[in-house]
Amino acid sequence: MKKLVESSGVEVAFKEVDVVTTGTFGAMCSSGAIINLGHSDPPMKIQNAWINDVPICHPGAAVDLYIGATAMSETRPFEYGGGHVIEDLISGKEVELRATAYGTDCYPRTQLRTTITKDDLNQFYLINFRNCYQRYVCATNSRDETIYTYMGKRLPRFGNATFAGTGELNPLMNDPDYETIGVGTRIFLGGTQGYVIGEGTQHDPKNGYGTIMVRGDCKKMNPKFIRGAAFTKYGTTMYVGIGIPIPILNIGLARKTAIRDEEIKVPIVDYGVPVRDRPKLGFVSYKELKSGTITINGKKVKVSPLSSIKTAIEIAETLKKWIEEGLFYLTSPVERLPIDTEFKPMRQKEKTLLVRDIVQKVITCREDEEIRDVARKIIDYAVNHVVVVNEREELTGIVTSWDITRAVAEGKDKLSEIITRKVITARMEEPIEAAARRMAQYQISALPVIDHRRKVLGIITSEDVTKILGRQING
Amino acid sequence: MVRVLLRFPEKIVNQPIIAQVLLQHQITLNIVAAHVDFHGGTVLIEVPREHLEEAVNAFRERGVIVSFPKLIEVDKDRCLNCGACYSLCPVGAIRIEEDYSISFDMQKCIGSPCGLCIDACPVKAIKLAREASLLGLNNERKELI
Repeated sequence: MKKLVESSGVEVAFKEVDVVTTGTFGAMCSSGAIINLGHSDPPMKIQNAWINDVPICHPGAAVDLYIGATAMSETRPFEYGGGHVIEDLISGKEVELRATAYGTDCYPRTQLRTTITKDDLNQFYLINFRNCYQRYVCATNSRDETIYTYMGKRLPRFGNATFAGTGELNPLMNDPDYETIGVGTRIFLGGTQGYVIGEGTQHDPKNGYGTIMVRGDCKKMNPKFIRGAAFTKYGTTMYVGIGIPIPILNIGLARKTAIRDEEIKVPIVDYGVPVRDRPKLGFVSYKELKSGTITINGKKVKVSPLSSIKTAIEIAETLKKWIEEGLFYLTSPVERLPIDTEFKPMRQKEKTLLVRDIVQKVITCREDEEIRDVARKIIDYAVNHVVVVNEREELTGIVTSWDITRAVAEGKDKLSEIITRKVITARMEEPIEAAARRMAQYQISALPVIDHRRKVLGIITSEDVTKILGRQING
Repeated sequence: MVRVLLRFPEKIVNQPIIAQVLLQHQITLNIVAAHVDFHGGTVLIEVPREHLEEAVNAFRERGVIVSFPKLIEVDKDRCLNCGACYSLCPVGAIRIEEDYSISFDMQKCIGSPCGLCIDACPVKAIKLAREASLLGLNNERKELI
């Protein structure tokens, strides 16, 4: 379609093309499967359950369980999770089920341990409440350390970037007004035919970030298109393959399905700042993202896809083949996806405290100062940390009262010999919790607060953080 | 060419050992990656296979800790062809092809001294493995000769 509109114009394309197939295959955390186990004898009203040590929710009555993709194994966390359980079951593997209950007159059983395969289940349906994001942001990291997020691993100081989604191949991107997509739209889901059952959670059409909720029969799925996955230090998730056919009902849809990667722009977002509204560093098109290199602050940066574009193309082609061979019939939606809603942030009662709310004045020194003078500062200002700066007030290191003590004990007299140069820092607009997490992680008691040019603005200490968080908890 | 990892302890880091081996044994070797400071150094080199034993012995005689780095091994059946690993490779050994499949150039890969891609793989399809032909050679002999 895209090439045809470019070469022959939209009128010709509208006459020639009946259906455009689309595809995506990416990590979709808000996914999971409903299973019904059938009743044991004596029967049991399951309260807590685990499959292969992954905790499973019990959303309904006695033996209905929901396997959430991001639930993690209690024995192999960050490695094996709900997504892997679903993949294993779809592959025909046997899994171990454990359950406990409090016991009632009608459901006396309190303990259960058995093994099951998908053939033992009555129903085994994928019910994913948010899939197929129309587009997604490009993520990078301004911090001095590598970070691990749901958007993958990102090297320090804009060392790389990642993006998700398939751009011009994305189903919702090809029908951005949802003329043909809604409740009841038949789709490719995990290698079989499934359905859209409504808008996905966080559906945000006003800003061009639509999502869908989908359902499909896992027993017929192909593990190639449903894969358990684990993002290091973030947790487990599941890759879901989805393809949607867009019938070209009018000339407008011919034009819309001709969309190109260069027209789809997304913000470059700094995930180094752990707040909800992370700073944006500019915009980039899917064409640039797919080229493998983008420009951030004038510097060339390699960018990784997280979705498999190769598998997405395979999904779109498979769907095309099914339609051509009469194996797949298009449906018109019973109700279209909403086009006028927005994704609201959470209503929170307490104010989020930021580093700027507890930052203290910092005592600084220069690298060429005598250890004795720095020791004097520590005493005079009653501090434990002195931050080392250059003539532009930029951070070059840190010295603690402990470092000074050690220098005296070891007979060192040059400040430059005892400075810690790899300094963990904080930013003014960061929530206190994020800074506290970093202090705990590196087992340090203070963080110099710097701006983007590494100019030192102040310092926060674990003492201040404990005081403020303690006050919050105690009301 | 075979990749050899040289570790220089603090005691000998100020000596021109690579230059000595090069001149004395007339071996052409290629430095692939290096990190050296006052506390010691790690240098990854490539040595022609026919000079391998001679070079290894020459470095070990001079107090260098010699080992053979592991290379990455990709389980192509597990690989999702996503490309999460692509942007982490510092030497451009991972490529995204025209058809969006992901390819790995083992000639360029540094292997175990780097390993940045390994924990970025969402399906853990990348592992470190010893090059099969080097299995017979003495690895990580720590004692100084």
